[in-house]
Amino acid sequence: MQIEDDEILQGFIEESLEHLADIETDLLAIEKAGANIDENLVNKVFRAAHSIKGGAGFMGLTVIQELSHAMENILGMIRSRKLVPNPEIVNVLLQGSDKLEAMINNIQSSNDEDITEYLIPLNAIAEGNAVQPAAPKPAPEPVVEAVPEPVISEAVIPEPTQQAVPTPVAPKPDAIVPPAPTPSSLVPAATANITPPAAQTPQVKADTSLRVHVSLLDSLMTLAGELVLSRNQLLQTIGSNDLRNAEAVGQRIDLITSELQEAIMLTRMQPIGNVFSKFPRVVRDLSKQLNKTIELTIVGNDVELDKTIIESINDPLTHLIRNSVDHGIEMPADRKLMGKAEKGVIILKAYHEAGQVVIQIRDDGKGLDGEALAASAISKGLITTEQALIMSDKEKVNLIFLPGFSMAKKVTDVSGRGVGMDVVKTNLDKLGGQVEIVSEVGNGTTISIKLPLTLAIIPCQIITTSGERYAIPQVNLEELLRIPANQVKKRVEKVGNAEVVRLRGNLLPLIRLADVIETERTYWDQEKAEQKEDRRGSIADRRGKESPFFQTSNEGQEEENKPTTADRSVTDRRFAASSALNIVVVSTSSMKYGLIVDRLQDSEEIVIKPLGRHLQQCKGYAGATIMGDGRIALILDVSNLAKMARLTSIDGTDRANEVALAAAELMRAQKDKQALLIFRSSEHEQFAVPLNQVERIEKIKRSEIEDMGGRRVMQYRGGSLALITVDDISSVHPLADQDDLLVIVFNICSKPIGLLAIGPIDAIEITTEIDGTTLKQPGIMGSIIIDAHTTMLVDVFEIVQTLYPEWFAEKPVFEVDKTSGVIPTILIAEDSNFFRNQVKNYMTESGYKVIEGADGAIAWDLLQKHADEISMVVTDIEMPNMNGFELTETIRKNPKYNNIPIIALTTLAADEDIAKGKAVGVDEYHIKLDKEKLMACVHDYIKRLF
Amino acid sequence: MNEKKTTTNKTLVELATFFVGDALCGMDILKIQEINKLMDMTKVPQAPSYVTGILNLRGQIVTIIDLGKKLGLGSTDATLNSRNIIVSSPGEHVGLLVTRLSDVISADTDKIERAPANMGGIQGEFFSGVYKTDDKLIGILDINKVLRIEEQGH
Repeated sequence: MQIEDDEILQGFIEESLEHLADIETDLLAIEKAGANIDENLVNKVFRAAHSIKGGAGFMGLTVIQELSHAMENILGMIRSRKLVPNPEIVNVLLQGSDKLEAMINNIQSSNDEDITEYLIPLNAIAEGNAVQPAAPKPAPEPVVEAVPEPVISEAVIPEPTQQAVPTPVAPKPDAIVPPAPTPSSLVPAATANITPPAAQTPQVKADTSLRVHVSLLDSLMTLAGELVLSRNQLLQTIGSNDLRNAEAVGQRIDLITSELQEAIMLTRMQPIGNVFSKFPRVVRDLSKQLNKTIELTIVGNDVELDKTIIESINDPLTHLIRNSVDHGIEMPADRKLMGKAEKGVIILKAYHEAGQVVIQIRDDGKGLDGEALAASAISKGLITTEQALIMSDKEKVNLIFLPGFSMAKKVTDVSGRGVGMDVVKTNLDKLGGQVEIVSEVGNGTTISIKLPLTLAIIPCQIITTSGERYAIPQVNLEELLRIPANQVKKRVEKVGNAEVVRLRGNLLPLIRLADVIETERTYWDQEKAEQKEDRRGSIADRRGKESPFFQTSNEGQEEENKPTTADRSVTDRRFAASSALNIVVVSTSSMKYGLIVDRLQDSEEIVIKPLGRHLQQCKGYAGATIMGDGRIALILDVSNLAKMARLTSIDGTDRANEVALAAAELMRAQKDKQALLIFRSSEHEQFAVPLNQVERIEKIKRSEIEDMGGRRVMQYRGGSLALITVDDISSVHPLADQDDLLVIVFNICSKPIGLLAIGPIDAIEITTEIDGTTLKQPGIMGSIIIDAHTTMLVDVFEIVQTLYPEWFAEKPVFEVDKTSGVIPTILIAEDSNFFRNQVKNYMTESGYKVIEGADGAIAWDLLQKHADEISMVVTDIEMPNMNGFELTETIRKNPKYNNIPIIALTTLAADEDIAKGKAVGVDEYHIKLDKEKLMACVHDYIKRLF
Repeated sequence: MNEKKTTTNKTLVELATFFVGDALCGMDILKIQEINKLMDMTKVPQAPSYVTGILNLRGQIVTIIDLGKKLGLGSTDATLNSRNIIVSSPGEHVGLLVTRLSDVISADTDKIERAPANMGGIQGEFFSGVYKTDDKLIGILDINKVLRIEEQGH
C-alpha cells in the first residue's frame, strides 16, 4: 500500500484516534441511557464513525472504511430509533472501535487485516438479528493447512496459494469456509509486501505530540523575549563592570526564569481525565465478564498532572481498578446476603492535597482481611510469625505490596496475572508516589495514591556528607532534627540491632548516610567551619554498618574538641561528639526513618538529570542535579537507602517504636513471666520461691524460735507455726547465724508453714528460662540467673512433703481410681521445659499418663492424633506459634473436643487474662507451681469424667 | 571516502593518541566528542571502582571513567596534563580520563595489526589492534568494549 502524503495521513490518524477516544465514552453513555436515547450523543458518535469512514475512503484504507461503515450503519439505526441500544449491541460497537483503533495505530498494514469477525455481528445487528459476538474465528486454521501443498509446487511466489485457498478447503466437511481473503487482502500479496504481517502485538502508546493552548505558547514567547533582553543587559553589565546593575539584572533573570519554568511546566500538564476516561469501559467489560454489577463514579477528571506522570500512572491504576472489580466487589448474591445493594460501587477520585495530587480508588466490596493477608504472608515465608504478631491492622493490609504476594485465592485471568501489587507499588515509587490502603473487612477498601504534580523539577533539601552535597526530595522529607551533643546520649538508643532516636515519644530508626553509601565518616566542625575525618569510622569497619554508633566510637572528634569530658562512662564517650547529630527525618510510602548527615543546608528547587549507565548499579541515587556553582549533587533515593541499610519495609513504619517495643515484649512473652521472691538463707546463696505461693513475710528474732520435739516452731497468730529451712533437706549452706531473721509463710495442705530466711529480699519478675537440671536436688526445683547471681528455686512443697509426710496422709489421696482400669491421659501444652517437666511430674506422681507438647500448635496436633485417649488439656498461656487462648479456641471450635476440660496455667493470673480465657472456653485457671490447687482441680475434673 | 578512491587506494584513519599511564593508546578521532580538562568531579560513592566521578558538561551529567583503572594499568591521577576524552555512548556521554594527550596521527588501516596474542588478560580485551609508527607502538582502543563491559559485571 502506498500512501503518498505523509502529512495528510498523519492528520487522519490523529483525528481518528481522537474520535475513537470519544466514541468509547460516548458508547458507554449510550448503553447506560438504553431506550432513552440521547440524540446528541448518538449523533456525535455517528459523525465520528462517519468522519473516519470518509477519511479512510479518501486514503484508500479500505478495511478501515468497511468497518467504520458497518458501525455507522448501526449507529444510524439507533439514531433513527430503529434499534434500541442494549449491552450486546454496544459490545459489538466497542469491539469494532477497538479494532479500528488498532488498525489506525498500525495504518500501514491495516489493509491486510481480517475484520470478518467484527463485520459479521455488526451486519447481523444491522439486519435485525442480534447475534452474539463472533465465536473465536476459525479462519486461520484452514489457511495454514492449505498453504503447504501449493507452495511446494509453485515455488516461491506466494499469491496463488491465497487464491487456491477456497478450493482445497471447501471440500473438508468440518472446515468452515473462511471468508478471510477479501479482495483487499490480496493487494499486498501482489505488490511486494514489505511490512511484516504480524502487527498483532499491542504497542505501547506514547504520545509524541501534545496539544498546547495558543495563549500559553504566546506567554512562553513573551517570556523568552524578555529572557533574551535580560541576557543582553547582563552581557552589557558584565562588560561595564557595574556591580549594582548586575544585581538588578540578576533579579530580573531570576524572575523570568521562574515564570518561564512555570509556563513550561503548564504545557506539560494534562488532565487526569485522559487516563480516567478508559476506566468506565474497563469496569464495564470486566464486571460483565465476572457477572457482577458495578457502578463506577469518577470525580476530578480535570485535575492536572505532568504528562510523564499521566502516562505512567495508567498501568498501576488499571491494575488497582481491576483488582477492585475482581477481588473487591462481591458477587451480587453475596452482597445481597450481606445486606448490601447488589450493585457494587467503585469511586475513582482525584483531588489536590498539600501540593500533591491524590488519586483515590474506593470500593464498597469485601475489604481486605489483614489476618488472612498476614497468614498468607507467613505461609509464603515473606514474614515471620513474630513479625505478624506485632503488626497493626494497617500494616497487615499493606503486606499486599510485598513482592511475591498474590492475594487471589484462585488465579483468575482478570487479576491473577503474576504481576502483583508489588509491581504497582514499584511503579508508583518510581514516580515518587506513595500508596496507602485502608480497608475494613466487609465494608470495602480505599486505596490512596499520592503523586507529585511534576517530576522534572522538584524541591529538595540539600545536605552534606563526606564533603559531598546530596539532595533529598522534599516529598520524602518529614522534618529536620538536630540533637545537641549533650543530648545525644539521652535520646539515641539501641533497640535490638538498630539505633533509634526518641522523637516526641516515638522511636525512629536511624541510618548513617556515610555508612549506607560506604564513604568515609566525617563530621563538620562548627567552630573551625571545616570538615574533619571521623577517624574511627573507616570504610573497612564493616561492623559499622550494623551498628553505626555503638561499635565505632568518635574518639577522634572528642580529642579534638572536648579533651576533658567529665563523664567518661562508656556510652558517653561514644556519643561525646563535638558536633551535634544532624538528622533528616524522611519517609517513604512504607516507613519513616532518620538519616544522619554531616550538615544540613538549604532547600532548593533542582532539575533531575539521570545518571549514566555505568552508575545504574548504585541504587542509592535517584539521579543527579547541577547545583548553582556548576558542581553536581546526587539525589538520594530514600526508599532504596532504607533497603540498603536493611531496614525492612514492613516493620519500619511510623510505628517503629511500637514495633521495637512489641518485639522486646514478644521476646519476653515467649518465655513466661515469672514473679519470684528472692531471699537468702546463708550469706552466699541466693534462693527464690514463686511469689504467688507466698502468704506473707514476717520479721522475727532468732530468740522467738522454739525447738520442740526435734522440730522448730514459733508462735504465730495464736497457734504454732512449723518452721523449716532450705538446708533441712537440701545440701546448701546452713541458715546464717544472725539475730534478725525472716519467716516466709506458705500455706500448704491448708496449714501455714514458715521458711526461715535472711535478707535482702526482693520481689522481681523474670523471663529467663529456668534451668531444671544443673542444680536440681531435693528441695530445689532448678536455677535461674538473676542480676548475675545464680539463684536456686526452692520447692517448698517438696520440703514440706519430706519433713511432714503426715500432712499429706491426712489429705484425700489424689491417686487415680484404678478400678476402672483406665489411666486418664492429660495433654500438657507448655513451651518452657522447666514448667512442663514440673507439671508433668505432678501428674505422673498422681498416676496420670501425660502427653506433652512444646507449644500450642504441637499440642493441637497431638490432641488430634490421640483424640481418644486424652481426657484433659492443661495449657500454658504464653507460647510461640499458638498460644493458650488460641489453642483453647481451636479445641472449642471442634465439637468433637467440646467436653474436654481445659485448665490454663499462668504465672500471673491477671484478671483480664482470666476473663479472656473464660471467653474462649478455658474451664479453670491455675497458677503454675501451685501443685496443690492444680492437682485438686485435675482430680476433680477427672472424677467427673470417669 | 574520496581519499579511498584517489591516488593511494589506502584507507586512512586519524588516530588521537594519548597516554594511559605509560602506555600509548589511540582511538579514532571521529569518535571523540571533545577533550577537556575539567577536573571538578563529584564522587559517586558505591560506583564501580573505575568510575572517577561525574561531571557537569554544560548541563549534561557525564560519567568519567578512569581509563587506567579500566584497562588494568593502574589509576590515573588528576594532574595538569590529564584530560577527559568525551565520547558518546548510547543515550549519554562518557568521559575517559587519560594521563596526558599525545599527537594526532594518520594511520593506514591496512597497517593496523591485530592485537598480539600475548596482550592477553584484562588489557588485551579492550584493544582492537596495534599500530606501529616509526618509533612507537600504539594500542588502538575498542571504545565500544571499554564502554560496554561494565554492565555485565554487576
